[in-house]
Amino acid sequence: MHTDRKAVMHSAAWRISAWATLAFTLGTLVVFLFLDRFVANDIQRRSDAWITGEIETLSDVAAHTPKDALYDRVVGEVAELASHEVPNREPNESAANDSVFFLQTGPDGGLRLWVGEGDGQAVLQAIRSQAVLIDRPYDIRVRGFRIPFRVASIAMEGGGRVYLGLSERDQLRVLRKLRYRFFFLWLSLVLLGFAIVFFTSRRTLSHVRGITEAASRIGQSDLKTRVPTTRRNDEIAQLALTLNRMLDRIEITVHQLHTITDSLAHDLRSPLTAIRGKLETSLDAVREAEPADAIASAIDELDRLTDFLNKSLDVAEARADALRLSPVSIDLDELLRAMVDLYEPSMLEGGIHLHLDSCGPVRISGDEGLIHRMVANLFDNELKHLRSGATVTVQLAVDPEPRQPLSPSIPDSLHAACAVLIVRDNGAGFSPEVRSHLFARRVKNPDSTGHGLGLAFVDAVVRAHSGSVTAANRPSGGAEIAVRLPLATA
Amino acid sequence: MTIRSSPPSPASSRCPLSYHLFMRLLLVEDEHDIQSFLRQALAEAGYQVDVSPDGKTAESLAATHAYDILIVDLGLPDTDGINLILRLRRMGVRAPVLILSARRSVDDRVRGLEQGGDDYLTKPFALAELLARLRNLLKRNAPPVGELTRLHVQDLELDLLRREATRAGQALQLTPQEFVLLEYLCRNAGRVVTRSMILEKVWGMRIQPDTNVVDVHIYRLRGKVDGEGRQPLIRTLRGVGYVLKDR
Repeated sequence: MHTDRKAVMHSAAWRISAWATLAFTLGTLVVFLFLDRFVANDIQRRSDAWITGEIETLSDVAAHTPKDALYDRVVGEVAELASHEVPNREPNESAANDSVFFLQTGPDGGLRLWVGEGDGQAVLQAIRSQAVLIDRPYDIRVRGFRIPFRVASIAMEGGGRVYLGLSERDQLRVLRKLRYRFFFLWLSLVLLGFAIVFFTSRRTLSHVRGITEAASRIGQSDLKTRVPTTRRNDEIAQLALTLNRMLDRIEITVHQLHTITDSLAHDLRSPLTAIRGKLETSLDAVREAEPADAIASAIDELDRLTDFLNKSLDVAEARADALRLSPVSIDLDELLRAMVDLYEPSMLEGGIHLHLDSCGPVRISGDEGLIHRMVANLFDNELKHLRSGATVTVQLAVDPEPRQPLSPSIPDSLHAACAVLIVRDNGAGFSPEVRSHLFARRVKNPDSTGHGLGLAFVDAVVRAHSGSVTAANRPSGGAEIAVRLPLATA
Repeated sequence: MTIRSSPPSPASSRCPLSYHLFMRLLLVEDEHDIQSFLRQALAEAGYQVDVSPDGKTAESLAATHAYDILIVDLGLPDTDGINLILRLRRMGVRAPVLILSARRSVDDRVRGLEQGGDDYLTKPFALAELLARLRNLLKRNAPPVGELTRLHVQDLELDLLRREATRAGQALQLTPQEFVLLEYLCRNAGRVVTRSMILEKVWGMRIQPDTNVVDVHIYRLRGKVDGEGRQPLIRTLRGVGYVLKDR
């Protein structure tokens, strides 16, 4: 798959093996070039040694052979014999002698004796065109021959020179074979090296990938899982072990937190229950209005205190990412319609106009109690702090590809589609003192009623559902609170 | 055919249904204060109450007597409340159970029991709500009554099919939501309903709003139902809730 290949290309395994292969390639290339040069020089040296040796022998023969009619034959045969011992020759080659020539020039520089293919004129010309005479073997290029000849020459007594030429064809053939073998060897080494490095590092790093995936799955709802470990003792195994130990500590801490909040809840709720019950029963027994009113107020206060206790415990747990959820599928559109229906009369009574702008059914997965209370909290806040004449718009939409991360602690939620709930009004907005720490507890606008836990609770619920909430003043005046929650996965 | 939604009842606002009287109730609760006020309230409501402070006593009581309904607190000293209920079920106790929980959220095990026909209530609770839930649990086991199409309370009449309400023959102009609210009050006529009960049954939300949203709805409804010259039916009981008088 395209994304899969892209991921592979970006992976560390690819990077490591690319660099390793590059280094390996260059290294072996340098070695091979060096070897090639060394071998070429060696071959050249050997053939030069042969040529030099042979030309000395031949010049001796030419010097000591009487210059009569048999001269040509004698020297010719010796030259011919010599040609059979050409180094680097292929064993099954024909006896044709196109790789060696023997040339004797007279004192005038003309052709005196030629042993070899053709008539030697081209060679003579090539030799003549060489301006400089040197004693060591040198290269000549002969017309009609693709490959140069290596030539050694010796001056004869009485003028003239003898030349022995050896085609570099055999040398080049050997070198070519060597280079082919070098090339294939080099190529297979490079590919093998790349494959080994790539798959080894991929295997090692796949363990890291496994750890990353496991760690991201482990959230507040799943503290029991641990990242996979191997039996090896390398850095990555150490990482896995350390992570698991860390998770152990977190699980213990969360468990302790739950123990505290549960026992606190129980220890506070039991007396509250008893008090409330007794107040209710005594309310029944009281006939006069005044004490009855007093008892009724006491019950109201008790209910408010209970709600504050509940919310505080939830906020405390949420801050430690330890808030327990029982998720179900919730249709936000349905919930908002019910909320608007519930709050509209109270809002109208306060002179506040309430307006719902919904895109249709939007399902999220969430804890029913918490989500209901969170939305009620938002509506409560609007009702409490807005003055007559204000307008509140509640907007529900779906953002298929949010630009900002949904929740900084969970990178996977970066690209998850989410439900967006925005509550905006044209009231006074957040006052400057509270604006910088809206989500802290015990913070409230100076002129609002109620306890200052409101937005902290919203933040707690949103955080527990892997969402995000922002609150700011609008440029045109008023406040805007935006809640983003991940959509329910089908 | 119209069916009266509630039988003749005494003046007390916590009047039981006739089949509810002399129902045997087992209360499993270890906190002494809660035991005492609950025992009193339940007895007043017409139940025959046995109290057990722990799981062991509860099991032995359940083995010797047949109970029509149970109330079990989850925070018992010697056992886990849910396990107690499961053990009682295995013993053959078929009566419905109302679970009292100090935790705000419902965990999976409680939800499992809920689906099995039991109910739960978070502490602290309103007595009216406790009694209402007990009644509902008993109703579930009672033989089913035919689906009502009309409700009558004094001179108030509700046509549930046409969604219309009239009082003394005069039509009341109610919004759909107001009708649902009035219907709920009528179905519980003569009994107190708390704000949180109204929020749960009429609006489908389990919340505790900081503001008096439910009160405003009731006032509006009262304005239409208990208008000029009519005998007021919707009564406010401060600190408790509302009641639709049926006498």
